[in-house]
Amino acid sequence: MAFPSLNLLLQSILSGIFIGGMYGLIGLGLGLSWGLLRQINLAHFGFVFLSGYLSYHMVTVWGIDPLLTLLILAPLFFAIGVAQQWLLSRFKISPFNSLLVTFGFTVMIESLIQYVWTADFRKLQSTYGEEKFKIGGLFVPVPELLTLLLAILLAFAVWAAMRFTDIGKAMRAMAEDGPIAAAFGINQRLLSLLLSGVCVAFAAIAGVCFALTFTLTPTQIFSWVGVVFAVVMLGGLGSAIGPLVAGIIIGVSEAIAMVLFAPSWAPIVSFSLLILMLLFRPGRA
Amino acid sequence: MLEANNLKVAYGAAPALWDVSIHVDTGELVCVVGPNGAGKTTLINTLAGLNRVSQGSIVFHGADITRIAPHKFCQAGIAIVPESRRLFAGMTVLENLELGSYLPAAKARRRETLEQVCALFPAVRQKLPMLAGSLSGGQQQMVAIGRALMARPRLLLLDEPSLGLAPSIVMDMFEAIRRINADGLSVLLVEQNVSMAMALASRAYVLEEGRIAMEGPANDLLQRPEIRKAYLGL
Amino acid sequence: MNKVILSGIFAIGLAFAVLPWLGVPAFWESFLYLLFHWIVLAVSWNILSGYTGYFSFGHGAFFGAGIYGAAYLAGTIGWPFLATLPAAILVAAALGVGLGAVVFRVARVRGELFALLTLAITFVLATIILNTRIDGGPGIYLIGVDIPKLGPSQSASIYMMGLIAAVATLAISYIIYASKFGTGLFAIHDDEDVAEVMGVPTYRYKLYALAVSCGLAGLAGGIHAVFISYVTVSETFSIAVPLSVVLMSILGGSRHWIGPAVGAVFITCLLYFFTSGDYAVFGRAMVGLILVIVILFMPSGVLGMIAQWRRGRSTAAAVTAPPAHETASTAAVVRLANKPAPSTEVLLQVRGLTKAFAGLRAVDNVTLEVRKGEILGLIGPNGSGKSTFINLVSGHFKPTAGEIIFEGQNLAGLDAHRFAQAGIARTYQIPRPFSQMTVLENVAMVAMFGGTGMSRAEATQAAEEFIAFAGLSHRAHALPDDLNLHQRKFLELARALAARPRLLMLDEVLSGLTPSEINEAIEMIQRIRDRGTTIIFVEHVMRAVMALTDRIVVLNYGAMIAQGNATDVMNEESVKAAYLGKAHA
Repeated sequence: MAFPSLNLLLQSILSGIFIGGMYGLIGLGLGLSWGLLRQINLAHFGFVFLSGYLSYHMVTVWGIDPLLTLLILAPLFFAIGVAQQWLLSRFKISPFNSLLVTFGFTVMIESLIQYVWTADFRKLQSTYGEEKFKIGGLFVPVPELLTLLLAILLAFAVWAAMRFTDIGKAMRAMAEDGPIAAAFGINQRLLSLLLSGVCVAFAAIAGVCFALTFTLTPTQIFSWVGVVFAVVMLGGLGSAIGPLVAGIIIGVSEAIAMVLFAPSWAPIVSFSLLILMLLFRPGRA
Repeated sequence: MLEANNLKVAYGAAPALWDVSIHVDTGELVCVVGPNGAGKTTLINTLAGLNRVSQGSIVFHGADITRIAPHKFCQAGIAIVPESRRLFAGMTVLENLELGSYLPAAKARRRETLEQVCALFPAVRQKLPMLAGSLSGGQQQMVAIGRALMARPRLLLLDEPSLGLAPSIVMDMFEAIRRINADGLSVLLVEQNVSMAMALASRAYVLEEGRIAMEGPANDLLQRPEIRKAYLGL
Repeated sequence: MNKVILSGIFAIGLAFAVLPWLGVPAFWESFLYLLFHWIVLAVSWNILSGYTGYFSFGHGAFFGAGIYGAAYLAGTIGWPFLATLPAAILVAAALGVGLGAVVFRVARVRGELFALLTLAITFVLATIILNTRIDGGPGIYLIGVDIPKLGPSQSASIYMMGLIAAVATLAISYIIYASKFGTGLFAIHDDEDVAEVMGVPTYRYKLYALAVSCGLAGLAGGIHAVFISYVTVSETFSIAVPLSVVLMSILGGSRHWIGPAVGAVFITCLLYFFTSGDYAVFGRAMVGLILVIVILFMPSGVLGMIAQWRRGRSTAAAVTAPPAHETASTAAVVRLANKPAPSTEVLLQVRGLTKAFAGLRAVDNVTLEVRKGEILGLIGPNGSGKSTFINLVSGHFKPTAGEIIFEGQNLAGLDAHRFAQAGIARTYQIPRPFSQMTVLENVAMVAMFGGTGMSRAEATQAAEEFIAFAGLSHRAHALPDDLNLHQRKFLELARALAARPRLLMLDEVLSGLTPSEINEAIEMIQRIRDRGTTIIFVEHVMRAVMALTDRIVVLNYGAMIAQGNATDVMNEESVKAAYLGKAHA
């Protein structure tokens, strides 16, 4: 074990917070559909990457500003989410089978990406893509900061919606006891379509942030599955703020493990946490 | 106002109903009694849209509501206090009550109805910010009734409000039900506790093995041999 | 067990074994090897996950343990290759058992949580191997490793190893499928709690299945190490292995011993067809699409669909000829006059039995005894603790306090299957049949595991008798979902009887039945008692309680408030108050 300098340690923690923001942003939609719709949507990861690639395409080929692509992608993916929910509810898919079906979707999305954009690495180049500034010796990259801010903004927006609007409360009620919710006039079908649309739209937003920050390659899709699942389980299924908090905890722990041991040890942090979570706090899931 | 004609309900594992006909008139408090497993809960859940009907019809205020979507029953004016309460346990008491008034018509008068519910159940007022799941059984029952009242229904369905509650609390509960009915709301009450139910109801049905065994005015029901046979086997 | 099928597996294996000597091109040997490889992986996965329903996404971990076991021992330390294979099997099996010993203790880690947990194990194992001396980062070369000569060439030898592994795996899969052990695993799949109550030692069985499944995956890994000859962590522990085996099994039918092999052949050929050109991308997309279509339209897989279709034809034929004895007698059952006098010998003694849930005492200090040959009625208002009492005496719940002494032995605190083996059986108020077993299989399963146990053949024969007793012979090959409520209730009875219990607990068997069906059931219960079975009878249909019981016990708020002769007890004021409410008392 090597003891790093304080500055290096702080810089690592900062980057851990940023990557945690990314985890939280991807985990938000995944956890909502898992907790409230009882669907384990593996395709969420596929949608994140698809959105990232589409954003990349619009920026590099059509010259649109990356943040503006959000205005196109979010509604588009909302529609995809609605369609997916329609299909799954039409066939009355069980939670476990939803995992398998959406895995099928993910493989198809991966193939599509590979066909259109090839398996080569792609990096979105934009005006603020490389920008960073310095605060007291620490580098703050703009895209990462943007991701974190968006993650916080969305998490609190969802939290507020769940807590203060009737539709949000109805969604929670529906997840707790669907038939009774229906007996008080809550239209489950409609709300499920809406919720699924919102979750997939969140995947689109995460995808744009992902493209701004990371290099894209289709085979990377599955490497995010484990960590984000850990984040969602740790944060609590259906929770709005939980995934972000858990994401930052895991991101920072990984970053510290990287500095203290070696970068290749990082995955053990999140997965050990996930295993312990599953074994000792299964009540939450 | 409510007329259920020749209902046949058979699904899954729950007790089934055969050829059950009941009616509730405006302002009445009608009671359905019968031993456990006779189909009381199946009946009341069917009237709230929670079960689908195989045969027969449900007519409410002149409209046939037998085949409308489950979430439309509330809009039609029927609200249920389900067996073992089934509150949204992970949500606060206030949120549970607000969800009772989810539909626009009820929502418009949410504040006013909430006041009425709190006046009826003063204990609920202090519990508003607490999680519904953390309340005692009696308090949960009050919230469950409150939630149904928040929908401003024209017919209130109550399924075993005394279940699992201590005797003194049962008394309070029935007093509240009496007041609700006295204020003009029609009530259909399903109860195992025959004597308590009879003290409130004007008419009663005895359900036994999925059929209506008898019906009549409530006051002399307790002395009828059918009751003793159904409950005590004597 | 069908000897023909087993010989068939070996005969086909032998036929494939001569191929290398016929001068088949090396390319075909490699292709067929890959086929065998996937058959071993998919079929071995199925032995745990398909049979018990514990879907593992961690098959890659056990496969990887085998690969690295063999690669490290042969490539790094220099063991002879054949010696590494048993080691690979052992390492993988030990890993699996170690994991299972912990995970299977946590009752709620089922379904998707189990899948996720095993997936996480894969990544943890990968990280450990990558960062320790086992791999260390660069991977392990096995170029210099001597491959035992099993065929005319090196590729032929690997082919032969794959073939042997595949034949062995299929044979094991079939033997388990056709055995009592396999029946227990399928029962766990359908309803683990009921399986345990019916006498299946679920914990042990799951561990055995996991050990076999992991060991075979380890074997596949060990052989694969020399096939690929260069082993890296990122290739070994990729998500491809678990997902492919899940897909293959689901596609072929995970409830069938050979289903996963069918899926493996199909997917491997499909992928090969597409990769031999520029269409690899389409191949993957096709795999994804097939998965979606299979889950949506035929969730039980190809072989599952075939079985369903065959069953559909046989039951359609049966329905056209309903036997005469099914027409219910509508004559009212009068009180059965001459009950045989029960002995005074005590069969079950319950002392101070208490069960508290979060402070609430569902059963509160109940002391009672059940005498040999009697029907004891257990009654009380809704929520009075009757169901909890049955759950305690069947071993499903462990009591907070008290003793359950059955034939002189205190069973309190033991696992539920020990209660079943001691001679206690129960029915469920809401029937809980094993949903994917036929009526006959449901009953035979209990005959195998209940009481002293029976072999599969004996059990099937006995099951036919019990089904006839319950009047369900014409539905013997139907699935429970196709039965009506009345038939499902009688299936519950037949199943409980098949355990040949000395104490039978009937939990509201009559609720939901029509009056004439109730009469039929009352007669049947009478006949059960006449065979010498002692019965605890929980019921709300009072005319049945009056007709059948020798004595009754009344519970209220978890405590016993009265016991004795039915008519006397029901006339007691405290009982009337409990039933009809305080105002009456």
